Amino acid sequence: MPQVNDDKTQKPDKFWRSYDQLENNSEYQKFVEAEFPGEEPSPETEIKRRTFLGIMGASMALAGSVGCRKPVQTIVPYVNQPESLVLGVPQHYASVMPFGTSSYPVMVTTNEGRPTKIEGNPHHPSSLGKTNAFMQASILNLYDPDRSKNISQNGVPASWENFIEFWAEHKTTLDETRGAGFAIIAEEFSSSSMARLQDQFHRTYPHAKWVTYSPISDRNILSALESAVGQPVRPKYHFDRAKAILSLDADPFLLDSDNVSNAHGFAQGRHAENINDEINRLYAVESGMSVTGAAADHRLRLPSHKMGAFLLAVAHVLADEGVQIQFDLPVMQSEPEWNEWIQALVSDLLHHRGESIVVAGRNQPKTVHLLVHTINAALGTIGNTIEYYPAETTDFSDFDELKSLILQMAAGEISTVVCLGTNPVYNAPSDLNFALALGNVEHRIHLGTHVDETARIASWHIHQAHFLEAWGDVTNIDGSTSIVQPVINPLYLAKSELEVLYTLITGQDRSSYGVVRDTWERRRDSSESTWRQMLHDGIHPNDSRDPLPAQPITRQIQESVDLNVLLVEGRGFEVVFSADYSSYGGLFSNNGWMQELPDPVTKMVWDNAALISPRSAEERHVQTGDMVRISFDCCTMLIPVWVAPGHADNSITLPLGYGRRNIGRVADGVGYDTYILRRTEHMDFVTGASITRAEGERILASTQNHGSMEGRPLIREATMQEYHDDPHFAQHMVHVPDLQSLWNEHQYDEGYQWGMSIDLNACIGCSACVLACQAENNIPIVGKRQADYGREMHWLRVDRYYAGDDDDPQVGFQPVACHHCEMAPCEQVCPVAATVHDQEGLNMMTYNRCIGTRYCSNNCPYKVRRFNFFNYTNSLPELVQMVQNPDVTVRTRGVMEKCSYCVQRINRVKRQAKLENRELQDGEVMTACQQACPTNAIKFGNLLDRNSEIVHEKQSERSYEILAEFNFRPRTSYQAKLRNPNPSINDQEHS
Amino acid sequence: MAQFFPKWTNQLPPIITGAGILFVVFAVFFFFYWGSPKFTDVGYRPVQPVPYSHKLHAGDLGIDCRYCHYQVEYSRHANVPATKVCMNCHSIIGTDRETLDLVRESYANNTPIEWVRVHMLPEYAYFEHAIHLRAGVGCISCHGNVAMMEEVLQVQTLSMGWCLDCHRNPEDHIRPPSQVTNMYWMPPSDHEEWVHQFIDEMQINPPEDCSACHR
Repeated sequence: MPQVNDDKTQKPDKFWRSYDQLENNSEYQKFVEAEFPGEEPSPETEIKRRTFLGIMGASMALAGSVGCRKPVQTIVPYVNQPESLVLGVPQHYASVMPFGTSSYPVMVTTNEGRPTKIEGNPHHPSSLGKTNAFMQASILNLYDPDRSKNISQNGVPASWENFIEFWAEHKTTLDETRGAGFAIIAEEFSSSSMARLQDQFHRTYPHAKWVTYSPISDRNILSALESAVGQPVRPKYHFDRAKAILSLDADPFLLDSDNVSNAHGFAQGRHAENINDEINRLYAVESGMSVTGAAADHRLRLPSHKMGAFLLAVAHVLADEGVQIQFDLPVMQSEPEWNEWIQALVSDLLHHRGESIVVAGRNQPKTVHLLVHTINAALGTIGNTIEYYPAETTDFSDFDELKSLILQMAAGEISTVVCLGTNPVYNAPSDLNFALALGNVEHRIHLGTHVDETARIASWHIHQAHFLEAWGDVTNIDGSTSIVQPVINPLYLAKSELEVLYTLITGQDRSSYGVVRDTWERRRDSSESTWRQMLHDGIHPNDSRDPLPAQPITRQIQESVDLNVLLVEGRGFEVVFSADYSSYGGLFSNNGWMQELPDPVTKMVWDNAALISPRSAEERHVQTGDMVRISFDCCTMLIPVWVAPGHADNSITLPLGYGRRNIGRVADGVGYDTYILRRTEHMDFVTGASITRAEGERILASTQNHGSMEGRPLIREATMQEYHDDPHFAQHMVHVPDLQSLWNEHQYDEGYQWGMSIDLNACIGCSACVLACQAENNIPIVGKRQADYGREMHWLRVDRYYAGDDDDPQVGFQPVACHHCEMAPCEQVCPVAATVHDQEGLNMMTYNRCIGTRYCSNNCPYKVRRFNFFNYTNSLPELVQMVQNPDVTVRTRGVMEKCSYCVQRINRVKRQAKLENRELQDGEVMTACQQACPTNAIKFGNLLDRNSEIVHEKQSERSYEILAEFNFRPRTSYQAKLRNPNPSINDQEHS
Repeated sequence: MAQFFPKWTNQLPPIITGAGILFVVFAVFFFFYWGSPKFTDVGYRPVQPVPYSHKLHAGDLGIDCRYCHYQVEYSRHANVPATKVCMNCHSIIGTDRETLDLVRESYANNTPIEWVRVHMLPEYAYFEHAIHLRAGVGCISCHGNVAMMEEVLQVQTLSMGWCLDCHRNPEDHIRPPSQVTNMYWMPPSDHEEWVHQFIDEMQINPPEDCSACHR
């Protein structure tokens, strides 16, 4: 028996996943020991003998009646087949997914006109071919079975023609009053067509109001930069060029704008080929644990309302060091525990002058962002690691305007309100009582994807088109143009924002294509060839703007800003409203993939909860799952608690976008609506809340204990210092004895031999790979209860490990999929040879042979096999089945499945190379997870090709295989994580 | 005491044994013969919505298979032609023929013709036409001499064992790629020599792994 944990440096219990594991309580033991939890008979699931006999009898009788007839299948060819279409060969179209003021460039795969997969657009600098989970999941929104399917007037189905008729008549009244009493509530956008129509709107209806409202918005950042620079700009961060980074309550790698390119850059700046490479250092100060905070070398827990004071303290120290901060800094008393941290941070910022980034989150007030800007400017980073690109619109959410509009509505001064893709009844600040005010409006028009809260009280509801169904355009951060290119006709003849807006302005009908082309043809540089080039590449070839040169802020701004507001002390508990990784404020409420995607940090699925720190939970005598009452002077709500290691004390994070009613089969009953606590005066965070234990508990499903490998050193990491001392530390952590096999081993020494390497130093745990795998491999969702049993079907999971003290732990992520062991333990126990190796070293599942004994899963050391307990896919509505990849078999009940290294992609590329009579190129085969990964953590290729990237990766000093000591010979290996702590900070480092 | 069972019951044990053996033999034969694709699938000739004659088009008129199934060299599917392809000729030829009513209707109303699939593989088997053509496997090897068929029928079992027979010994089914659609091609005398050279040259190594066709 090989020895496990044969290492001196790493205690076996250094890493932990959950409180259950830390306590090693009976529930945890039971879960880990039960191979397939959830099978214990309960009164509801127990089958009586009679019922059993009945079912068996009926099954026997029915078994004879199926299979008598040969099924008749039909082939339905085109009448006129499009010239470029080859049946069975997917096509790819460049497009772009608008996302508030930012956008995600995508490459859409369609099979015979049916979009099935979204990848990043490799030609586009904001994507570089990479994606995040939101992009991957957005395709499921297209096939949402609960989408609104028709236009309705007061709940009665109507047609687009009816609406145009109605509007043409109503428009004459509006024309007379020049738009008085008419208002539009629209989302933030970055689109020249929208901007053009908005302009036209104001000219047509001079007295009408245009109010911009997005519940999750960069307004604080953008308005701060606008006043600092003197014109509207959007910041572009170059994390690859940064050596020292301070993230202040921000999440640039997953939730903030342009996160794909940010994460990509960060991983590049963190890449260590050998011990001589220098890697960046990330300092994070935040209230709740974010993906960015998890990646940080130093993380300071601080309630959101103290960020300003912290930043002031940083500014003071910088000023003391001779850096010219343009503001007069108010005198302040820095908290003693910050001093050492700030000293170290400042010395790094100064050491890497011009190569640093200070970034603050969208929740932080404008003043903080102004100060961030001045610090960045003083450190010489503007124009280097941070670039400001002129933006064309200044239109971001403005609550004062919204408030005055609602007051007018309540007063009966507004006769017509159009909610253009917005849902203010659900997500407007609760103090405004939007629903009540809307009742006073005669014509309530709503454009939205669902019959949602606003639609239900609207007089006209128009169903909104998905971005894959209608034309549009976006202006990228650098000012270049991308076209939103539809890849399918609107499924229910849905209408886009542009089409509805055009009709509202002109009273006429025009296609979204027409509107976008109009905008294009008004440009001086418009030509058909450029248009085609732009459609093909997904980005205009040469219309990006130049970044603005760095310039000092004006005296006027300096005087208008009072930094003392940052020093205001909070009282009681702080509540932070944040977008979360699954629902994103409600955008993905009815998206099953997103709901079942474990939150990267908490690993919670199908719920939201109030996140609080362990210490606060202890003080309040609450545990995970307990219901609590969170109240202010004005309002109160009930929500379960989730004890989140690493959360700031006396602070509560409330994720937005849950608690929907009657939206759809996925969204209903998931989580709690936290918008009801959000008010105009505190849209981001607020202090003065109280939290008390309330009656009841709620089961919160989480995958954090699933697939536990019981305390073995699976995730390995070291500090840069330790790496210097022992470059092969990862291999030295476990003693791998001289291994011998019981039988003759197969030599995998010809053809292609596939292998994978995952760089834990690059992985930020964002889980884009999990969703990419789900979309590529037709992986079903199972629902909250099944997920709680550990029956989620994800072929690839991302294990999150905490290390050290639960108040302030370090976090590591480890993606785990099938390791394709050469000596696979699963194959040895399959009684029917349903899982066997192929010549290329892939451990394959032959679904048709599988009889569902589940022995393989019992014997799998990595716990990556998934069993179909139910016929998950068959029961899906036909619309949802349209998302499925035709290259991958849909599994039925009773069979085992697991990662196949995307064998369909391997086969496709191999076949293509053969048809072209050439050898396969390295890098040509990309697995879905690899293609999605924004940080390039996953590499895949032929192990026999000596010049391939994968061989290079596997030869890395940090490369190690998990459980190698058991002679499984996994084809997947990992590269150990590196941490780059500042030697002068002596916080409780654990490594 | 009187005999409880009449005398003839002495014959019962051997009769029952014999019948039992017969039943087992029959049952095995039943599944072996009537249950095999040779019986269930070979000869399947569904009625098509349009009485299209492959014999006339591919045989008598000598139209190459790839005139209609024009994507077969690029795709996994040998596409069934769009109505437009029929109309290439039939907008001039046979414009008043009743049998073509459905085709003209389809073209005029943009309603596709629903052909009945003859060669059905299970959904978990991924067969690839293009790669087989590249390897010089003739249409006739799997589909039979279509040029002789009034209506297409299935001539091979299309079972996995049948696939593997060829994957294990591909030599007998390989011909020069220029001849793949030729229904009357006969191997020349030096064919055997050529085949081995061709297999080496084109790196034809038919996989026998599950993952070759099942994913």
